[in-house]
Amino acid sequence: MTAEDLGEAARKARRYHYDRHAPDYRHHFEEITQELHHQCPVAWSDTYGGHWVASGHQEVFDIARRADVLSNDKDVTGEGRGYQGISIPAVDTEFRGGFLEMDPPEQRHYRQALNPYLSPAAVARWTPFVDELARASLDEKIESGSIDFVDDLANIVPAVLTLAMMGLPLADWPVYCEPAHAGVYTPPDSPDMPRVREQSIQMGMRLYQAIPEIRENPRPGLIDALIHAKINGEAPADPDIAGVLGLLIGGGFDTTTALTAHTLEYLSEHPGERERLSRERDTLLDSATEEFLRFYTPAPGDGRTISADCQIAGTSFKEGERLWISWAMANRDPAVFPEPNQIDLERKGNRHTSFGLGIHRCIGSNMARMTFKRMLIAVLDRMPGYACDPAGAVHYPTIGVIQGMQHLPATFTPGPRLGRSLDETLEVLQQACDQQRLAEPVTRRHQEAEVGTATE
Amino acid sequence: MKVHVDPERCQGHTLCAMRAPDLFELSEIDGHSSAVAGQIPAGQEAGALEAARSCPEQAITVS
Repeated sequence: MTAEDLGEAARKARRYHYDRHAPDYRHHFEEITQELHHQCPVAWSDTYGGHWVASGHQEVFDIARRADVLSNDKDVTGEGRGYQGISIPAVDTEFRGGFLEMDPPEQRHYRQALNPYLSPAAVARWTPFVDELARASLDEKIESGSIDFVDDLANIVPAVLTLAMMGLPLADWPVYCEPAHAGVYTPPDSPDMPRVREQSIQMGMRLYQAIPEIRENPRPGLIDALIHAKINGEAPADPDIAGVLGLLIGGGFDTTTALTAHTLEYLSEHPGERERLSRERDTLLDSATEEFLRFYTPAPGDGRTISADCQIAGTSFKEGERLWISWAMANRDPAVFPEPNQIDLERKGNRHTSFGLGIHRCIGSNMARMTFKRMLIAVLDRMPGYACDPAGAVHYPTIGVIQGMQHLPATFTPGPRLGRSLDETLEVLQQACDQQRLAEPVTRRHQEAEVGTATE
Repeated sequence: MKVHVDPERCQGHTLCAMRAPDLFELSEIDGHSSAVAGQIPAGQEAGALEAARSCPEQAITVS
């Protein structure tokens, strides 16, 4: 061995082997997390071309906020430094995942263009819209006594809201929904992959076509914001806009669905906690939401490329090396979260990392929280004693990208419909969007959405 | 007791305003936080401390 080899070996002395994309990973996650925390909260893993894994909360905190030495860039033109974005293994595509696969300053310019649509104040205006959607989704099933919380609620509400915020037709939600989820949970070697890839391409084309459509016939919303954005002083190219739209859909659909499904499953398994949460929602819902976020961490981590030699959290990193920041593992660090593998609806000091840390903090976090809470309240109010069917629950076969659920069937005591069908509701909501220009940024429109009463 | 939000660290997680809505105001544009007043009103110290402990970016100091 050369001196250099010895240096490398010393640098990467703390090694750990595990496969985040393996089908059984979900069952070993807690054990693997504990081992990493004990042995090497920053570890070298030889999988997927070799990369670092940061799992300790302190280490993740120290590392994730170092945008000066970490790059999110995905070099799709070949004119950059060849970095491979935020997926490990890297995804073979010519599109960047929007501003999540960019570095400042252009990353910052995109976020500035979109912030006024996604701030807490902006999101709060959509609450009546979300309540109507949840009401109609539950109405479709309420008389039958049987529901799939993923297919019939948690897939629908985030998808329709995201389309509304973009300025896309609400009735198109199925075009986006299935590929958005299947693209994430289908293992690359699955026989379903060609079909899923084809659906994703169709979705991508639909998004791509929407850009010149809205440029010619302007409608307010996130797409309009991107068309008019100034990125390093210039209008962004359509492929970059399409990448951002893909990011907003990828970030907006699956993750909120995952959080909602896992929470509903948990509450079915713990009816005492469910009853308490419902009864004490005024004081408990906020902290419970943060706790479900912490425990279930729908987006379990992100990749980075080290952009300059540096030393952080006791580890020497070299430029070009890949790093996986595990939000999910940091969220189970007992040094920050006593009894980390227990759900405590009142947990204090819950500074979880489920929306990331630093400049790439999830721009949809306010939307995620609002949508989740409104769906949860609707279920607690209309089917308080629902029982999930453990045999029918389907978790994603692999959770390396999103820790999600495909199906969550449940039964409940039937109840009365409260209003219009889902299809009719989508028409009414579409009219509300168009007439009230609901998708304007909060700087231009302050009022809450008015969606009328349910039974007009 | 005083509370301060470091604008360089704040990333708009909004946990502070959830824990202590009277002590923090959030930008309508990006949800970033600032202290409503330098001095914390009597009786709200616990809320201020809890908000500081809840900030994922550790952007809040209480002194």
